[in-house]
Amino acid sequence: MTAKTTKKKDKRIGLFVCHCGVNIASVVDVEKVAEALKEYPGVTFSTDYVYMCSDPGQQMIIDTIKEKHLDGIIVAACSPTLHEKTFQEAARLAGLNPYQIEIANIREQDSWVHTDREKATRKAVRIVKSHVEKALRNENLEPIKVDVKKRALIIGGGISGLQAALDIAEHGYEVILVEKNPSIGGKMIQLSETFPTLDCSQCILTPKMVEVSRHPRIKLLTYHEVDSISGFVGNFKVRIKKKPRYVDESLCNLCGECEKVCPQIVPDEFNMGLSFRKAVYLPFPQAIPGTYTLDEAHCLGLSPVRCGKCKDVCDKMAIDYDMKETFFEEEVGAVVVATGYDLYTMQALGEYGGEKYEDVVNGLEFERILSASGPTGGVVLRPSDGKVPKSVVFVQCSGSRDTEKHNPYCSKICCMYTAKHAMLYKHRVPDGQATVFYIDVRTGGKGFDEFYQRAVEEDKILYIRGKVSKIFKEGDKLVVWGVDTLTGKKVEVEADLVVLAMAMVKADGVQDLLKKLKVSTDIHGFVAEAHPKLRPVESLNAGFYLAGCAHGPKDIPEAVAQASAAAAKVGDLFAQNELVHEPTVVPVNDELCSGCGICITMCPYGARSLDPERGVAVVNEILCEGCGACAAACPSGAAQQRNQTDDQIFSMLRAMLRE
Amino acid sequence: MKLHYYPGCTLKEKTTALDVSTREAMRRLDIELVEPEGWTCCGAEYPLTEEKIVGLAAPVRVLRQVRDEGGDVVVTTCSFCYAVLKRANKAVREDPLKHKRVNAYLRDDIQINPLTKEKTTGFEDYNGEVKVLHLLEYLRDRVGPPRIREHLKRDLKGLAVAPYYGCRLLRPHKEMGVDEPDSPRIFEDFLETVGCAAVDYAFKQECCGSYVSVSLPAAATEASYRVLRSARMAGAKAIAVTCPLCFYNLDHRQEAIKETFLDFPGIPVVFFTQLLAWALGVDKELLGLKEHAVPADGLFDEGRGAEVRT
Repeated sequence: MTAKTTKKKDKRIGLFVCHCGVNIASVVDVEKVAEALKEYPGVTFSTDYVYMCSDPGQQMIIDTIKEKHLDGIIVAACSPTLHEKTFQEAARLAGLNPYQIEIANIREQDSWVHTDREKATRKAVRIVKSHVEKALRNENLEPIKVDVKKRALIIGGGISGLQAALDIAEHGYEVILVEKNPSIGGKMIQLSETFPTLDCSQCILTPKMVEVSRHPRIKLLTYHEVDSISGFVGNFKVRIKKKPRYVDESLCNLCGECEKVCPQIVPDEFNMGLSFRKAVYLPFPQAIPGTYTLDEAHCLGLSPVRCGKCKDVCDKMAIDYDMKETFFEEEVGAVVVATGYDLYTMQALGEYGGEKYEDVVNGLEFERILSASGPTGGVVLRPSDGKVPKSVVFVQCSGSRDTEKHNPYCSKICCMYTAKHAMLYKHRVPDGQATVFYIDVRTGGKGFDEFYQRAVEEDKILYIRGKVSKIFKEGDKLVVWGVDTLTGKKVEVEADLVVLAMAMVKADGVQDLLKKLKVSTDIHGFVAEAHPKLRPVESLNAGFYLAGCAHGPKDIPEAVAQASAAAAKVGDLFAQNELVHEPTVVPVNDELCSGCGICITMCPYGARSLDPERGVAVVNEILCEGCGACAAACPSGAAQQRNQTDDQIFSMLRAMLRE
Repeated sequence: MKLHYYPGCTLKEKTTALDVSTREAMRRLDIELVEPEGWTCCGAEYPLTEEKIVGLAAPVRVLRQVRDEGGDVVVTTCSFCYAVLKRANKAVREDPLKHKRVNAYLRDDIQINPLTKEKTTGFEDYNGEVKVLHLLEYLRDRVGPPRIREHLKRDLKGLAVAPYYGCRLLRPHKEMGVDEPDSPRIFEDFLETVGCAAVDYAFKQECCGSYVSVSLPAAATEASYRVLRSARMAGAKAIAVTCPLCFYNLDHRQEAIKETFLDFPGIPVVFFTQLLAWALGVDKELLGLKEHAVPADGLFDEGRGAEVRT
């Protein structure tokens, strides 16, 4: 039934038992383990040493392999996730195939979890014996190699995507930048000033936008979406959707005549709905590409009875109502996911009025109110009646750090931007009262705490430590109920305007895409990194990298740093002429495979598919991560993982359970 | 059709209006309310505040009786009874220790048949089989607005009524689950179904003063005043409640409120079931309007509510 791996009777196995200082040796009698295995069939050499991973330890392994002509070795030590590579390299130096190395974990799975010395030692012996059985059946393997397409795809044209694109292009590689909106710039272009230096957000971002649009190695695709991605690291095929802009960007000269005649008025996304735009519009003056876009959801001209006013006035004949959605394919070797974030919705915060009160705004709306390019030209006016608010309450952690009803995590940037908001408000309305409700003020960052101190001391912003329980309207005033946890008193503040430091949440509308890319996300929908400390900019899915708030809340400097790090990682990948992949994959034995397809549904990496002609499963070895799910599921034994065959596993079990 | 109905003590004593109007309204919807045999007090708030498991015995005994009579649903109107029964039910269903210990208490119950004087014992464990619903929930989910509208006999002509949720109907929301606690719709939708206009105001979930009215009457007076004032300012002609204690604090306390807040003109407080019964064509005499401290008769005026259907 199972594909037999032949046990090599004449194999010469060496055993090296590590003390790991006292980590192992204090619980497991390591000498006894080495001694007990001396006579075990197949074992030619057995010893113990204080630190196998040290230089002398490795040298001992190298020397012994050469001296005793070993065909396989077992290192009984810590988890293979830590030093398997170390010992594989040592074996390679000694001329032994690295896949003849077995790590028997007698630390995490033995000494660290047991106290009884005698029983732990017996367990160690069994663990090691099981690995001897496996080692006797291990085969020499060679890494799988594949070419790399040295071209990167960036999804998202916010600050993170722009930075990653520029860095990769500067490394000398081609970049395709896909942005779903009519212009690049993301959320950052909407901000007024940035903390802690109060420099104008647009002023520092637009040069980068221009640089991206002019860079010879960057192909900028705005108003495009990634439809799907197939392939694998180094060799992705990307299907891209070009959304119809209905304006030929090469012809549009931004004269603005179309906008003047357009009869359709819609809320302006760039100004967070605080002002209006036409159905044919330029998102903002510095938009890149500098072209009008016709928003098909609101245009009359696209419906059967055509309005056609804009087309009539366009001298350049740039407007074309017959543009269609088109698809095309690009080949890339790596993908940077920089899809950004969204703000938690007002509707979710019923306690703060939901969407009932016009004068309860979120942080981004307030950015627009503060911005010189905003709907009020930078004068602080409240949305309901256009009056200058004399009392503004800022509510931190709106929808964040709330395990009961909202998001349990900290949105990280709100403490700082609230201090900035309050400060900018005071600069514009010096006789106004700014009150901030906070749980903690978190100012971890260069110059951040000094900035917050300035808000409190120089701008006399009142900070109240406590949460806001309710916001409601009485007459034309908003009433904010909160608590001052330092005095233990209930607080009631009347406000003309309330600014909610709204939680940052996963970007709306990219979740389906992420699912299609098989990029894993955390429970909050943010893209998950491969390792929270050591691999913070890579996805678990090889060839995908992450940058910016798609990964979780972060401020501009951090987003830029992460984007550069992701770009550097892409550079690492592209610096290689061919990719090397672990050979411990699960091939298909054609003769045994019945083509039932169970393994295909089991594979979390999309590595397996059905060959329609031969009616058997086939595996793309580059995509296979060797998890073994298919091997466990295969009913006919056709899926056998290399150096982890059924035969090896059963031999290990038998060795383990035999007295 | 028959439906198990747990009135609770207060409805048999101080606020029979809620009980009577509920029965009359449900009769009009062709639903016969059946009280579980030998029901007792639910224990009011106490079984939930005390850690002691014995406190759960009373509500669980009521629920077990409903089950043993073949009921799978029990409705209540009093928010306190509702909260106690629902949370006790959840505790028995989800907490194995509470389940075990409450049932250990109840297993040896002796029930005496009032007619035959026959004693029965040896009850089966209660595992939370019965579903506890507030009448508002029952009307929304099991009866449905279309069926209520079909039975309407009077047009309430968009009477501006402020729904008052109070505390117990919505919170703790993970246990009660009637509606979203900060922007609920269930009461508003009910009022609109029976022909009223639901008034939105800020204090619909704020405390009426609850039991503080016993120990600190002045605090309760202020609490209920703020609720009443907020509803009035929003244009309400009446406030609708579900809970006898809310009714007491908002209605009976208005006399004390007027002494403290001299400019407060008063506002009638009614039970949601009175509005339902009236809209369904029940006679004014059967609404229990005599129990109101603030006269509510004016709201139930045949002149303003013409017969729309026969």
